[in-house]
Amino acid sequence: MTGSLHSATWYRVAELTPRLRSHAEAHRSVFRGAVWYVIEDHASGAYLRVSEAAWRIIGLMNGRRTMEEIWRAAAEALGDDLPTQDEVIQLLIRLHRSDVLHAAIPPDMEQVVQRGRQDDRKKRLASLRNPLAIRVPVLDPDNFVRATGWLVRPFFSWFGVLLWLAVVGGGLFAGLQNIDALHANIADRALTAGNLLLVLAVYPLVKAVHEMGHAYAVRHWGGEVHEIGIMFLVFMPVPYVDASASSAFRSKWQRAGVAAAGIVVELFLAGAAAMLWGLMEPGLMRAAVMNVMLLAGISTLFFNGNPLLRFDGYYVFADLIEIPNLGTRSTQHLQYLAQRYLFGIKTAVSPAMAPGEATWFTVYGTLSLVYRYMIMLTIMLLVAGMFFEVGLLLAFWAGILLLIVPAARGLRFVLASPRLEGHRLRALVVSGGLAAVVAWALFVQPVPSATIVRGVIRAPETARAVSGADGFVEELLAQPGETLAAGTPILRVTDPLLDFRVRQMDARIEELRLRRFNALASDRVQADLVAQELSLAEEERALAIERRGEQIVTAPVAGRLLLPAGDDLVGRFVRKGEALAWVIGSEPGVVRVVIPEAKIDLVRRHIDAVQMRLASTPLEPVPARLTRGTPAAVPVLPSAALATEAGGPIPVDPTAETPLTPVGTVFVMDVAPADGRPLTALGERVSVRFDHGPTPLGAQLLRALRQIFLRDLNV
Amino acid sequence: MSDSFPAPAAGSFYPRAPAVPKKSKLDHWVERFTTLPRRRLQARPTRMFARRVLRHGRRLTGLSDAELQEEVRATAHALRAADGRPREALLVRSFAVIRECAGRELGLRHYATQILGARAVLNGAVAEMQTGEGKTLAITLAAGAAALAGRRVHVITANDYLAGRDAETMRGLYARLGLSCAAVVPDCSPEERRAAFAADIVYASGKEVAFTFLRDRVAMGGRAGDIGLRTRAYFEGSALLLPGLQFAIVDEIDSVMIDEARTPLILSVPPADAEVEADAARAAHAIASEMKEGRDYRLDRLRRQVDLTAKGCDRLEERAAQLPPAWRPAPIREDALRTAISAIHLHRRDEHYILRDGKVEIVDEYTGRVMPDRSWSAGLHQAVEAKEGVEITSRRITLAQITFQRFFRRYIHLGGMTGTATEAADEFWSVYDLPVVRIPTHKPPRRRTWRPRVSVRAAAKWARVAARARALSAQGRPVLIGTRTVAASEAASAALTALGVAHRVLSAAQDADEAAVIAAAGRAGAVTVATNMAGRGTDILLDEAARAAGGLHVIMTERHSASRIDRQLAGRAGRQGDPGSTEAILSAEDSLLAEFGGRYGRFMARLGGPATLSALSDAQRRAERSHIRARRRLLELDEQMAENLAFTGTPE
Repeated sequence: MTGSLHSATWYRVAELTPRLRSHAEAHRSVFRGAVWYVIEDHASGAYLRVSEAAWRIIGLMNGRRTMEEIWRAAAEALGDDLPTQDEVIQLLIRLHRSDVLHAAIPPDMEQVVQRGRQDDRKKRLASLRNPLAIRVPVLDPDNFVRATGWLVRPFFSWFGVLLWLAVVGGGLFAGLQNIDALHANIADRALTAGNLLLVLAVYPLVKAVHEMGHAYAVRHWGGEVHEIGIMFLVFMPVPYVDASASSAFRSKWQRAGVAAAGIVVELFLAGAAAMLWGLMEPGLMRAAVMNVMLLAGISTLFFNGNPLLRFDGYYVFADLIEIPNLGTRSTQHLQYLAQRYLFGIKTAVSPAMAPGEATWFTVYGTLSLVYRYMIMLTIMLLVAGMFFEVGLLLAFWAGILLLIVPAARGLRFVLASPRLEGHRLRALVVSGGLAAVVAWALFVQPVPSATIVRGVIRAPETARAVSGADGFVEELLAQPGETLAAGTPILRVTDPLLDFRVRQMDARIEELRLRRFNALASDRVQADLVAQELSLAEEERALAIERRGEQIVTAPVAGRLLLPAGDDLVGRFVRKGEALAWVIGSEPGVVRVVIPEAKIDLVRRHIDAVQMRLASTPLEPVPARLTRGTPAAVPVLPSAALATEAGGPIPVDPTAETPLTPVGTVFVMDVAPADGRPLTALGERVSVRFDHGPTPLGAQLLRALRQIFLRDLNV
Repeated sequence: MSDSFPAPAAGSFYPRAPAVPKKSKLDHWVERFTTLPRRRLQARPTRMFARRVLRHGRRLTGLSDAELQEEVRATAHALRAADGRPREALLVRSFAVIRECAGRELGLRHYATQILGARAVLNGAVAEMQTGEGKTLAITLAAGAAALAGRRVHVITANDYLAGRDAETMRGLYARLGLSCAAVVPDCSPEERRAAFAADIVYASGKEVAFTFLRDRVAMGGRAGDIGLRTRAYFEGSALLLPGLQFAIVDEIDSVMIDEARTPLILSVPPADAEVEADAARAAHAIASEMKEGRDYRLDRLRRQVDLTAKGCDRLEERAAQLPPAWRPAPIREDALRTAISAIHLHRRDEHYILRDGKVEIVDEYTGRVMPDRSWSAGLHQAVEAKEGVEITSRRITLAQITFQRFFRRYIHLGGMTGTATEAADEFWSVYDLPVVRIPTHKPPRRRTWRPRVSVRAAAKWARVAARARALSAQGRPVLIGTRTVAASEAASAALTALGVAHRVLSAAQDADEAAVIAAAGRAGAVTVATNMAGRGTDILLDEAARAAGGLHVIMTERHSASRIDRQLAGRAGRQGDPGSTEAILSAEDSLLAEFGGRYGRFMARLGGPATLSALSDAQRRAERSHIRARRRLLELDEQMAENLAFTGTPE
């Protein structure tokens, strides 16, 4: 027995003769083997759960007995279970707060009005505190649900269960059958702009059906639904119903049933949609059906059905393990654990009241905390990415609420809470230690940091067999794949004009020679001039002949011949200087990587090691080295394989005149395998990892954040 | 200009300020930067106002008494007609009239600074006026103007003696203004009390007003609404003692509203079944004496708890018939037995309590001081009395309780004066919404502060104090030795006697004799030992010889729990432009260090010199902080209880 039986404030209630208001109704229910009473206020729709001992004290309140008499009587009746006077006062306060207490004395109206104002204000502030989930009650659907109840009643039966199983099973079957088509469709369309509009239209409808599921379930088991409204979840209007009437249900299966009704309805919708999708022709309707399937199926499984988030799954779960208010009490339990074991406060009280609850609280509390933070972070990033400035502001706000506010609250608790009196030093040391560990992990302990970029394999410069002249490819003199010695002819290019040019020059030379001969006799000066012209023409002819010789393309080095175009080359017109073939010899090829602007700073600053993985052998990391030290900005991508259209990482500007002009600035660097192995698959995509050496995580995050700001806001 | 005399809501029978919604932390924070500076600016009176009052006053000096009487009446009419919002000129006129009446009645005309102070009070602020600037007289301006405007004015003083004295002094002035004035005498009958509070201007200590208010609230029986009150008043004759809380002017506002605000005021009565309770305590003691440790109960000495074993419970059940019927149910009888056992084994005489004149008096665990007024709760006190076989005092049943913080907020208009408010300005603002305004002194202060002296041993300190007193007294200067406790006064007196210095000792009896002694403390060569509380509100008037010798010298023998109180003590020297000096003579064995020094501070203090001094200052800061925290906590608890227990009606 801890604490005193008597209370210093008992005098305030000792002479009261309270009773429950007549509109309050009590329901008996069993939670984890213990009997509890749920008091329902029909007027306000509030629910209050009290223990058996408390209920017996309430039972003694008849409006004539004073609290002093009640307490004495309870002392005889309850023996060791007698609540202390403080506990009885707390019970009265709770009853009063739920507006089910009639105290036979006019209450302090000033205080009551003030409390009402404070509650109002709290409600208004709540939406400000969480701008991503704002509730707006709209109407009382009770009459509607009552009137249309007969429509859905048949479904609460074996027939309903069978129908549901049939549809959901059928949908699953249809979905599996068309899994490939579905998969392709999802990848193509799910996140396109047009489809997002469709999702916006379909989502509230699906949710409306879902909520009506709750409402009918409550109605079916005898409860009433008095509030339906719209919640703006991340600005998306979503209907909600107030199904708290189910907490008065006696059977936990019924309570869980109400909570599960939404999921059941959505899965039904998803099943039906999957079957329809298989039958329909492509078009708007089919797209809508697919969205229904996705939303009702996947969102239900990952969000609604997930007990770690405070959606339907949570309530089903909490009802089934018979721990009401699981989430809040888990948080309290975690706080209790911290106070009890970290700060050494022996008087801290756990909210666990029944056997087994403590374990549930610990496990659930930890898991949901981690999960909630993950989900919130994801949503924050998503929102920040989608709505830019406003989104960034919202994400900032959410970040403050999620990180700064709890931290500040914790700090205030440690620094100023009177509960820590006598334990403050320990609390300070422990929290300081924890903070130091976190700070160390974030800002001191280095973790590997790397930039991963894509590149393509390019042949070395020396391996290019270049056409020496313009002309048509006449014939191939060597077969692709053949091993050639340096200087071996590979193909011949002919320029028909070149022969004529030689002949033209021959004729010209002949002409000039004759003119010179003629002039020698009459005018020696003239003859000298012609002689010079002649030598010019002879040079030109020699050039033309030389060019005719260059029409044979030879292997620049010894090695294996690569002819990407193969036989198609024959008959093609090629320009002088165009690479027609490659001879891969002892010198390996290089990988030309493209680095987007955002990553270039890190790459430029410090590279510890380079590693590449070829697309063909992704499991084998190849150590590499830089061949060209400084990255250079380029106006055009080195290969089409790097553009997003071809599955690469770099988006290409379709409006640009030059093909393969990237959006934004990109830089290129050349990387070669460190072991000098030949890279023969020209144009193969390679993933290259620049290791920058270990850097603390905090510094990495800060730089990423800074870059987001720089990119989106120019600050 | 805001309302100078805010009116109670029309038709309200028991006027008082409505409970304001509790402000959130954010509100407080925002208001610090918005409302507070504005209110400070509004509350600060301009010197122009004082000049206008003085100028207007010159015109009045020529009037005959009858003409002045007519002028008073005309001013009162104008003030009432102004309906709580008098124009500046009207305020000037009323101040001038009151000033002139004071001049004719008391021979004292208000200085400009007093006019400014009174104006700040009307503006709803705390006026910080140095000690000796004539706060009592300044208050008459504000109180008189408000009463002329038809408000019921409460002048709250630091103790009952001051209330009576001030009312007596000022009665003539108020009578000349056509106002009645009364002081509330403690322990008077309800009729006398009602009669006193019916006066236009009531002088009373804070405790008296607050307890009267509580009594009224209990009498109302939770019916706080005006209709309920009216009905009751009609049927039962006006049973209420207070005609509401309208206009309060608090003298020494920091001592009333801050120093005394650490404990709630509790109105309690002995229970109807006191005799039965005493029987129960004796019976429980008898049963407990038969029990054996180990067999019947286990003691947890560390946590000071008693656990009954199953055997012990059975034994108790057999003997339950010895207890009165109401104590027989199992949990209650076991609680009583546990308390009795704890009284026998866990509370030892001369360690936890002492016996004095057949009474059990608690010894404070931390300070080792005897606390005669305190008693243990939850039946423990009775159990210890049963153990000692002394007469069993009855437990007291609380009827109502209120904290000063919440009580004073219930006044529609609140203002105050003190010599030392700056240190507590934050608290005045956050708790009472009162800005603090500094009023300049009438004459430039000539008080000098000497370097503090510290010694390690308390004995050395007292020797030094005595030597200093002897030396200065020989020069013809009066010396005041300020102490924190009666015990310290005794030590100082012993040291003085050892050196053969004639002196007088004052403890905080707060009566007329004491005031006389304090008033005589200004004679040349007089040495007076007084606790800080002694003679508050009485000026030490210097005679010519003393002034010529250099004025009063104040020796502080300890740091008080707030630097504010140190300043109050220092303020006794050098009042109204007199010469004077003050010094602190301290030691490392001062009780402040023991209570608030902490281990490190106590260690540092033993080093002597500057280390001791800084340790003492540290301890003082710590004490201030801890008291502020305690007051804030008390207020929070009080507010929370009021909110939670709203359904039980309004007992306070």
